[in-house]
Amino acid sequence: MLKRSFCVLTLAALGLSAQTVDRTKAPATGPIPGYKLPPVFETKLPNGLAVVLVEDARFPLVTARLAFQAGSKFDPKDLPGLAEATAAVLTEGTKTRTARQISEETDAIGGSLSGAAGADSLGVSAGALSDHLKQMLVLMADVARNATFPADEVDLHKQNRIQGLMAQRAEPAFLAEEKMAEVVYGSSPYSHIAPTEAAVQTLEPKLLAGFRDTYLVPNNATLILIGKLPARAEVLKDITEQFGTWQQKQLPAPPKMDTPAPRKQIVLVDRPGSVQADIHVGRLAPTRVSSEFFPLMVGNSILGGGTNSRMFRNIREKEGFAYDAHSQYDTHRDAGDLEAVTQVRNDVIEPALKAVLSELDQMATTPVANEELTNIKNFMAGIYLLRLETQDGLANQLSSMKMLGLPNDYLETYTTKVRSVEPDQVLAVAKKYMATGQAVVVVVGDASKIGDTLKKFGDVTVTKAN
Amino acid sequence: MKKRIVCSLLACAAFLVQSASSAEVTIPIEKYQLKNGLRVILSKDNAVPVVTVYMIYDVGARSEEKGHTGFAHLFEHMMFEGSANAPKGTHFASVESNGGTLNGSTHPDFTDYYEVLPSNKLATALWLESDRMRSLSINEENLKNQKEAVKQERRLSFDNQPYATAIVDVWPTVMFKNWQSSHSLIGSFEDLNASSVADVSKFFKTYYAPNNAALVIVGDLQIDAAKKLIETYFADIPSQPQPKHPDMAEPLEFQATTKVVKDALARVPAVVIGYPGPKRRSPDFYALNMVDAILTAGDSSRLRQNLVKGKQSVLQYEANLGWPFASSLDFRDPEPYAMNLIYNPKFTAKQIVDQVQEEIAKLQNTPMDPKELERVKTQVRAITVKGMQDSLSRARTLAQYAITDGDPGLINTELDAMLAVTPAQIQAAAKKYLTPERRAVMEIQPAPPTQKPAGPGVKGDQ
Repeated sequence: MLKRSFCVLTLAALGLSAQTVDRTKAPATGPIPGYKLPPVFETKLPNGLAVVLVEDARFPLVTARLAFQAGSKFDPKDLPGLAEATAAVLTEGTKTRTARQISEETDAIGGSLSGAAGADSLGVSAGALSDHLKQMLVLMADVARNATFPADEVDLHKQNRIQGLMAQRAEPAFLAEEKMAEVVYGSSPYSHIAPTEAAVQTLEPKLLAGFRDTYLVPNNATLILIGKLPARAEVLKDITEQFGTWQQKQLPAPPKMDTPAPRKQIVLVDRPGSVQADIHVGRLAPTRVSSEFFPLMVGNSILGGGTNSRMFRNIREKEGFAYDAHSQYDTHRDAGDLEAVTQVRNDVIEPALKAVLSELDQMATTPVANEELTNIKNFMAGIYLLRLETQDGLANQLSSMKMLGLPNDYLETYTTKVRSVEPDQVLAVAKKYMATGQAVVVVVGDASKIGDTLKKFGDVTVTKAN
Repeated sequence: MKKRIVCSLLACAAFLVQSASSAEVTIPIEKYQLKNGLRVILSKDNAVPVVTVYMIYDVGARSEEKGHTGFAHLFEHMMFEGSANAPKGTHFASVESNGGTLNGSTHPDFTDYYEVLPSNKLATALWLESDRMRSLSINEENLKNQKEAVKQERRLSFDNQPYATAIVDVWPTVMFKNWQSSHSLIGSFEDLNASSVADVSKFFKTYYAPNNAALVIVGDLQIDAAKKLIETYFADIPSQPQPKHPDMAEPLEFQATTKVVKDALARVPAVVIGYPGPKRRSPDFYALNMVDAILTAGDSSRLRQNLVKGKQSVLQYEANLGWPFASSLDFRDPEPYAMNLIYNPKFTAKQIVDQVQEEIAKLQNTPMDPKELERVKTQVRAITVKGMQDSLSRARTLAQYAITDGDPGLINTELDAMLAVTPAQIQAAAKKYLTPERRAVMEIQPAPPTQKPAGPGVKGDQ
């Protein structure tokens, strides 16, 4: 302590000359700085469209999201891929604009405009130089309300999607994710993460228009605007001009979410010629509105979130089994899943899978030490700050908050909730969601090389890669 | 001017200054040099309590010597193996446990390392960066460990990925004649295996000296406090003789070539097209950057409208000055203007090359529609402004301009140079550089899965 204060004094006296400093330990630093989100203003148009405005004037840009509860879980059973196709072709032609005109008008405002669908929601994302906010809203409203789904554009989407599916299914990681979702979510709508080629083939303009007419309605939507915005009254007037006459509609009942009871299974997806094995160990996990969410989120970070996690340190650094070893906790609106993931060369599949299972069980049997817990909390609080540096970062956070049905103070209270997690809470959720007694093991690899080894871990179901 | 003063008085927000430049944003810059030669660039922005510490070394894979392919990248891995006071594991642990992210990457002409942290941890990042610059732990065990990690990275990110082996191992030999540029930047297992502790020590001493580096700090910082910390941590690291850049000169005459590579992992064919580029920051450099934007930026770009949508021949493309390993930002002579197009198998590679050349011919022969040019310039401006939002991107840009051009202030003026390009300059540059006589082509054709991917990389391990 004495030495330290002496240092400070000399610094002050000598100004900028080099000083002796105790390099043997990390420097002492102050607490993590507080940060208040820019104010979030919320309102609703009479037709039910929720509006969220955030002023961020650092750069002359605006960023927008128009998000609907209309993701792939709303796909009809025989038409997986309908939501994503509707989203993709929304921007390819309207009653008054060709696809080319939409592209040209978007680029002319320094903007971007695209549609995409995830499991729960379908979103139109847009951005522009802030002088062109009004024109950006014109384009967003036009594609959301008046898309015509031209036949040639639908055909092009089908052709590209089929090529894309071929490429995706050449990737072992994708095959593993697809199989894991199928096993974990059973017959529920979250069980498909991508359509079949056959389903894509059957898409046609009127199916896309039907999906749009059903789900893309104002009372099912949230419009988020972030950036250098004009005065509140003016923005609201511009929004009302573009979206105010949009008719609300009754929505159909949401799909049923029956997820199967978790049970232990080992599935080997045979990919002949694979030089390595992709290992995924996972199971169902709670959603973000559950009281178990924050403890499990913290537990997941301890297990496999980043380079300071147990899986990275042990499976990659200590054992050298893999380049990547991590865990992921994915939450949808109605269900979630937690997975431990690594890719290893064929000859170490046995010790590597043992190591993954043992890391999971360790979490479920031994309370986490205080220091490790504090480190992980700092990590999570910092990552949270880092995500808010850009307009897109904040837009994505707000959009997923709205689409997952999270409370309005979710972002504001995130850091406090992370910090309040205790070791016994982590242990309790790990017992339920990480213990490997009911875990699903999915391995993608060459069955002729690794099949026999896998049998040492239990009964193995072998399936073919598509 | 008045606005500027008002802003700096508002201690609460201290936003970046809005100005009359084309980007409508001026990045504040404080630039100086330590006695040992370390260049320092500070840029303050207190809006979000996040700070980026970005260390750039003026050495990349093109400085490697024969028999040492992949060495610059191997060395980059060694930089995470610990130093005298921050033993192995400390670097990751101290950044991540404090909520930050970090990484390093090796490029043709530079190597970079960064930490992005909550701003209370600035001193931690400086402690870590200075400790490894001063006293990296170079030993047999660390080297052996990282050779394996690099090989595994090669297996995962290159040898097990479609197109990647052809692009990293073969494409440089098609585009360049000088070995400095034409060798594999990720390297062969044979060369990696042959690297010794003495090689690592020599490389460290030669290139990882303060006088061969720049330190850029961007974000929530206080200038005086930051200067003191930098002095404390870096000032007594000794400088070294200034290393020479290798001779990278290419033969004057470029030989047009076409090479075909079979790729067992590719399901869909691709073709890479490149043309030797102009000198960095010459008038033609800006003009070709605009040509690239006209061809490929945004959904209304010509390649997207005419090939992806119109002819439906191309599925995906990427292109830029310096592709694949450099960007227009870190483009250093010699680099090409190059593109990679993944295409519909109903077409042949030759048809795709002809279609691209036809699009270029339109640019060469027909003056631009002013409306289209205006639109493309708006896109370029928007891309530039968007790319300045996060502190890491700003730090990268400042660092490049500092070590490549000696002037980080270019971050505030290069956009104007780009936007000043005229239709006549665009036509002239397209005519001068993008001709079939100065064109290199590499076709990547899917091969049956039994065939091993081409390239020198896998030899050493068999």
